[in-house]
Amino acid sequence: MSARVLVAMSGGVDSSVAAALLAEQGYEVIGVAMRLAPDAAPDATPRGRRRGTCCSHDDFEDARRVAERLDFPFYVIDLRADFAARVIDNFVREYLRGRTPNPCVMCNREIKFDRLWDRAAALRADYVATGHYARIAGDRQNGLRLLRAVDDAKDQSYFLFNLGQRELARTLFPLGAMTKQMVREHARRLGLANADKPESQEICFVPDGDYAGLVERAAHTNDLRAGRIIDDAGRMLARHPGIHHFTVGQRRGLGVAAGEPLYVRAIDPASGDVAVSPRSGLTAAGLIATRVNLVRPETAHGGEFAAEVKIRYRHRGIPASIRLGESERAEVRFSDGGPAITPGQACVFYRGDEVLGGGVIERALEGWGTEG
Amino acid sequence: MRIYLDHNAGSPLRPAVRDAMRAFLDCGPHANPASVHRTGQQARRELERARERVAALIGAAPRDVVFTSGGTEANNLALFGGASPDRRSIITTAIEHSSILEPLAALEKRGFGVARVRPDSDGLVAPEVITGRIDHAIALVTIGLVNAEVGAIQPVEAIADATRRAGALLHLDAAQAAARMPLRVDELGCDLLTLSAHKLGGPPGSGALYIRPGTALAPFLLGGPQEAARRAGTPNLPGAIGFGVAAAEALSRQDEETRTIATLSRRLLESLGGAIPGLRLNGPTERRVPNTLNLTFPGVLGETMLMALDLEGIEVSMGSACAAGAVEPSHVLLAMGRDAAAARSSLRLSLGWSTTVAEIAAAAETIPRVWRRVVAAEPVTRAPRIPVAELR
Repeated sequence: MSARVLVAMSGGVDSSVAAALLAEQGYEVIGVAMRLAPDAAPDATPRGRRRGTCCSHDDFEDARRVAERLDFPFYVIDLRADFAARVIDNFVREYLRGRTPNPCVMCNREIKFDRLWDRAAALRADYVATGHYARIAGDRQNGLRLLRAVDDAKDQSYFLFNLGQRELARTLFPLGAMTKQMVREHARRLGLANADKPESQEICFVPDGDYAGLVERAAHTNDLRAGRIIDDAGRMLARHPGIHHFTVGQRRGLGVAAGEPLYVRAIDPASGDVAVSPRSGLTAAGLIATRVNLVRPETAHGGEFAAEVKIRYRHRGIPASIRLGESERAEVRFSDGGPAITPGQACVFYRGDEVLGGGVIERALEGWGTEG
Repeated sequence: MRIYLDHNAGSPLRPAVRDAMRAFLDCGPHANPASVHRTGQQARRELERARERVAALIGAAPRDVVFTSGGTEANNLALFGGASPDRRSIITTAIEHSSILEPLAALEKRGFGVARVRPDSDGLVAPEVITGRIDHAIALVTIGLVNAEVGAIQPVEAIADATRRAGALLHLDAAQAAARMPLRVDELGCDLLTLSAHKLGGPPGSGALYIRPGTALAPFLLGGPQEAARRAGTPNLPGAIGFGVAAAEALSRQDEETRTIATLSRRLLESLGGAIPGLRLNGPTERRVPNTLNLTFPGVLGETMLMALDLEGIEVSMGSACAAGAVEPSHVLLAMGRDAAAARSSLRLSLGWSTTVAEIAAAAETIPRVWRRVVAAEPVTRAPRIPVAELR
């Protein structure tokens, strides 16, 4: 009997093609589309009173079409409550703390490679597959390795650093060796309506991009922290309505005029102060990461190792030395000066094409001395 | 082998229905029943024969039966047609099908008052709760004779007396009752009654509304004098023929089928109850149609059970599906006072004319095995604590 694989299908091109490729390779595919984001409030939908509990018919239409075409079972599963509790709640809390979370990392960790695993086991599936652009190489004996995708422009390995040996052994990324162009050609061959659709850059549960609005709706008014925008000398430049409007490294939308461009350097959730400075003031010597995971623990060489570190998804990566500490913490020291550090984002360690691991940025290391 | 336990969503076509429809498709008469010529006359004869058969199922006169495109259209015709403008209130229950609840929500927007009576924890509506509300402002009382999700048979006879005295209409949605219990419109005392062909082994897309003579009912579809000017449009003749044969079959076999289904259903419930500690049957123990088993499976998500059973070849259902195809917890169970977690752990197994001893034996063996696997792999104790609504 062929291996059974649960394929997470979003309705987008990538996961649709991933499912189709696996089905064509002879896997017994079970397609699942996940309802994750809460429904829009009834008055926010164009048609006015739509049934409050219902999502849109179009949401998973392309995924369903692939399933029908290749004749594999397809189900829509409702993980909204899990997503709210484990991803959106974290997202809101992080913003209230003056940090900038990466919900896609959380979703992979808490939903796709956790919740979906339970479901896979319940359905006797051997693997979970997604449309992520990343590769898995090696074997269980010598360690499975998580690698960047062949298509550098599409590489999504950054979002997957939380995977361990146990997960990699049961995960398939059918698109890792393909370019976006190849995937689009497959999609056209399959007759997918969305083959040429531009990709969404927004976070799925904030389709209008208004993160601050989401935080304000979800949080208690008391939790919102208004305060001052201050410069390097501690002078107040303006007042702001809440620290959740700001991200470290942000330039636009500060509402202050100055001779040279100013960037958010630090956010203090206790006082509500948002410190801004010219670009030169933003460099950091390194960072402290928490919730650190190593994909292949033997790569750590006794707790100290060198790697290229990406501190944002689109960051090119810079050389650093990494020292693992207690309770899943790590100190990352950049070999040369590093860029602005945004707490809450993921930092991911690479060696060549391999993802060694990563963690959540707790804070920047100031100066060049040892951690204080 | 696929084991179909979703008859309340739609029964497989009965062989006699298939034969009759195939004969019609092969040989006709292919003409418009409203046409004057000979083939038109023959088509009309087929339509009227079907009407007689459907009428016989409910003890009605054929002229009082209007063919529709299904139960949903029949319900819409009953509600929009029966909501008289000089009486502004309607009574229903909280456990109706969406083809009742949504038209009523639309009528509410047009200024009608709608009272939605809650059932007890067994899914039964106390007649006095309804009769106590009936006065001369009530246009219509609409109630599902048999609830689709838990199989409760509502005590409607007492309600019929009250509506008659107050001059209000009584509409019964009998889509889930037909062929599962004896139906006589005069004994039920209803003015309007909805039927659906595919619930009794007929084709989908075919239904009927019984209209008691003298009932003022404004037509809903306009555009022709068909169906005695109560439903415009060329009738679905193959659908009506199939419906007629299904009704005749269901009627002639009703005693035998009901007995078999009751036996099989009891057997399935007993084996599942023995193998699954904490299994709960939702709905009444007495006033119920035997084919429907609504079960709360402890410690699992119904959604996962449904998928896992489907992959093992057992087809059941849960609540209703949203537009995108996700299953939603049953509003019926919620109205019966079950909490959301229990509703999410519940599945509906519904037997029907095609259910066999071998199928029930296989289901009784497979379902506990799947339940044990799902409990181990995805226990609902891992369910999140924060409800989605809190993040709105």
